[in-house]
Amino acid sequence: MDALVRSRGAYVCRSCTRSLRRQWLRGHSYSTAATTPDIYDVVCVGGGPAGLSLLTALRANPVTSHLRVALVEAQDLAKVRSWTLPPDRFSNRCSSLTPASVRFLESIGAWNHLARDRVQPYHEMQVWDGVTGARIEFDWGLGSAPPARHAVEGTTIAYMNENLNLTSGLLKRLDELGGVAVFDGAKVEAITYGPETEELDLRQWPLVHLSSGNQLCARLLVGADGANSPVRSFAGISAPGWDYDRHGVVATLEMEGDGWRGDQIKIAYQRFLPTGPVAMLPMPGRFSTLVWSTTPANAAVLKSLSRKDFVAMVNAAFRLSPVDLAYMHTQEAGQADEYSWRIQHTPHDPRAVPQEVVAVQEGTVASFPLRLRHADTYIAERVALVGDAAHTVHPLAGQGLNQGQGDVQSLAKTIEYAVTHGQDIGVTMSLEPYLSERYAANHVLLGVCDKLHKLYSASSGPLVPLRSVGLSAVNALTPLKSFLMNRAAGNPLKLF
Amino acid sequence: MEVTLKRTAALVARNPLQQHAAAALAAAQHQRRRPFSFSSLTRPPPNYPGHVPLSPVERAALVVGAGLGSLFNPYRGDLIAIFSEVTATPYFIYRLRDAMLASPTGRRILRDRPRITSTSLNLPRLRSLPEGTVGRTYVAWLDREGVSPDTRAPVRHVDDEECAYVLQRYRECHDFYHALTGLPVVREGEVALKAFEFANTLLPMTGLSVFAAATLKPSERRRFREIYLPWALRNGLRAKEVINVYWEEQLERNVEDLRRELGVEPPPDLRDIRKREREERRKKKEAEAAAAAAAAAAASTASAAEAAAAAGSV
Repeated sequence: MDALVRSRGAYVCRSCTRSLRRQWLRGHSYSTAATTPDIYDVVCVGGGPAGLSLLTALRANPVTSHLRVALVEAQDLAKVRSWTLPPDRFSNRCSSLTPASVRFLESIGAWNHLARDRVQPYHEMQVWDGVTGARIEFDWGLGSAPPARHAVEGTTIAYMNENLNLTSGLLKRLDELGGVAVFDGAKVEAITYGPETEELDLRQWPLVHLSSGNQLCARLLVGADGANSPVRSFAGISAPGWDYDRHGVVATLEMEGDGWRGDQIKIAYQRFLPTGPVAMLPMPGRFSTLVWSTTPANAAVLKSLSRKDFVAMVNAAFRLSPVDLAYMHTQEAGQADEYSWRIQHTPHDPRAVPQEVVAVQEGTVASFPLRLRHADTYIAERVALVGDAAHTVHPLAGQGLNQGQGDVQSLAKTIEYAVTHGQDIGVTMSLEPYLSERYAANHVLLGVCDKLHKLYSASSGPLVPLRSVGLSAVNALTPLKSFLMNRAAGNPLKLF
Repeated sequence: MEVTLKRTAALVARNPLQQHAAAALAAAQHQRRRPFSFSSLTRPPPNYPGHVPLSPVERAALVVGAGLGSLFNPYRGDLIAIFSEVTATPYFIYRLRDAMLASPTGRRILRDRPRITSTSLNLPRLRSLPEGTVGRTYVAWLDREGVSPDTRAPVRHVDDEECAYVLQRYRECHDFYHALTGLPVVREGEVALKAFEFANTLLPMTGLSVFAAATLKPSERRRFREIYLPWALRNGLRAKEVINVYWEEQLERNVEDLRRELGVEPPPDLRDIRKREREERRKKKEAEAAAAAAAAAAASTASAAEAAAAAGSV
């Protein structure tokens, strides 16, 4: 208790300090049988990329490094710390990191702790309509790339990275910085308000009850605990949205070569099928990661196929017509044979699609449901939400994790501002700048991804030629394309 | 020219990104896409044996020429064939091919690529099949109409090789559709069958052939309007795709079973109706002739009597 009063920069209100001093002078005549909760400045529930980034940012910044912080994570973080895979095996949960996210990770000192040989920058994107073949090609041609340290980096669109690589790197940096009370392997049993004791009135401070018996009281409780966030339910914030009735099938694939442009310049591919987009994103060497959004029935079929047939389905997804694909999804087996027949009669340009997939890594075929959720607000009294707890987006633009990192960057800046201006970091007034900076931007991105998904769900009708004309038009309008690429990369908006 | 090329090559060699662009351009020039418009001197190479690619002007000319020619002379089977080929693209033949790809039987047909010719079908064996089977009905119809499964003209002007086979298959199965519906080979029957095919396959040639109903006799036109056109639209739309029937496997099946499975009800027998109408016309003509003869006889008797009276009076 004295430590709290005396430590530099601790913000305990006057009346609490007075009652504390009174009690101390009285000589601890009260029994200490009632467990006084552990009080922290920031308690972050959730040890995913968003939570770990936030704590790293707070600890790395000298302005906020004195704050007493705690991390609560249900899973055992030792596994994440010691995560390692051989160079020819990749985890199936990968995300694309925009240059803005990478700049943020560099600024908090975490980027160098990622296994950089497992991070793959890519420099070109080919996106096309599966029904009509209308195509849009993204790459930073010479002269329109944003300024960068050297030429190749300036042409990078984004970086493909395994999620475990990111969390493991963040954890390494956090261990290096130290000063975080980590409660891993502890589930959150309940979140209530703190007690009112003789010394303190914590009735407006959230109290986290862990399965291990610990009780953490937070000046600011940050919910980085995923789509079904208990912190969000505690704060009474609802997250309306809808389920897409789609599953994202992921897998790690081995290709026949390093890519059409070799190892130095990698290309990401996305084809919009009527059932959903299928994306192949490059990983180091001959490997790629697949994200195929499709109906739950199709996802179940894909997961049940033999490896040879699954490989044939993936190759077919980028080359064959939607009619053929729909038929192949109804087959229980034999897609490899069907594919080798149909590919002879389907005119296609081999260089416009990814190279042939030759193998799928064992055990990496999995799926997860897709949905859209946006919390009504990101802040409440002494509560803030970041990452998937605040918003869930369709993966077709690869923006979900980057939105989370953007949230964290903004929240860390808001907390820094509050600290330098002597404010209580947990009150809504201090958190308001975070909400105003992030809410609208996230909402726009969620809306755009949702409308793209709906636009490309049509397989016939007037929408099909209209959207193809639109896509070809955007492909031809270089300034508009550059604008879209800058927004997707998270670069700041420059009008002139 | 040489100097410029060398300089360009040197510039390209310096920049790795531009190197790729140059390589892509070279590759694209090697696999040049088919030009949209060409003259008969620069015709692109064929996609399959017998393929003759058409330029847009040639295509338009054939649409008009073959269309009008086959309208005025329906015996010009070659013009009808050309008309079907030049009107099949865009969209319609691809839709038909996709309809085949969507069905397991259709896919098997596309894989096996069976052809119906007078040699591939064993007609004597079909004649020996029991009454009521598809094969027997087909052969009976061939004999009744006095036609043979002559080798239909090969498809020449459809660019995609698989779509060319689809059109060829449609052409060769046409006689089976006659047997399925029981419509005769006369102009009236052909027009009714074309209306049915249009409602089922959506090929433009079949739809435009319905305009040949304007060349029918008034009574035939009335019959077509009142009976056969409604029948064709109703059955064509609700029936399954007839292009997906693997006829070679259905020859020994009962034709009523097949009709039920496809959802096709046979129309009123056109030959019977025409025969009855001919009989009625003949009877009416005979009655008229008899009445005329009687009237003429009466008139001549009257005039003879007059003449005799006149002669007698003289």
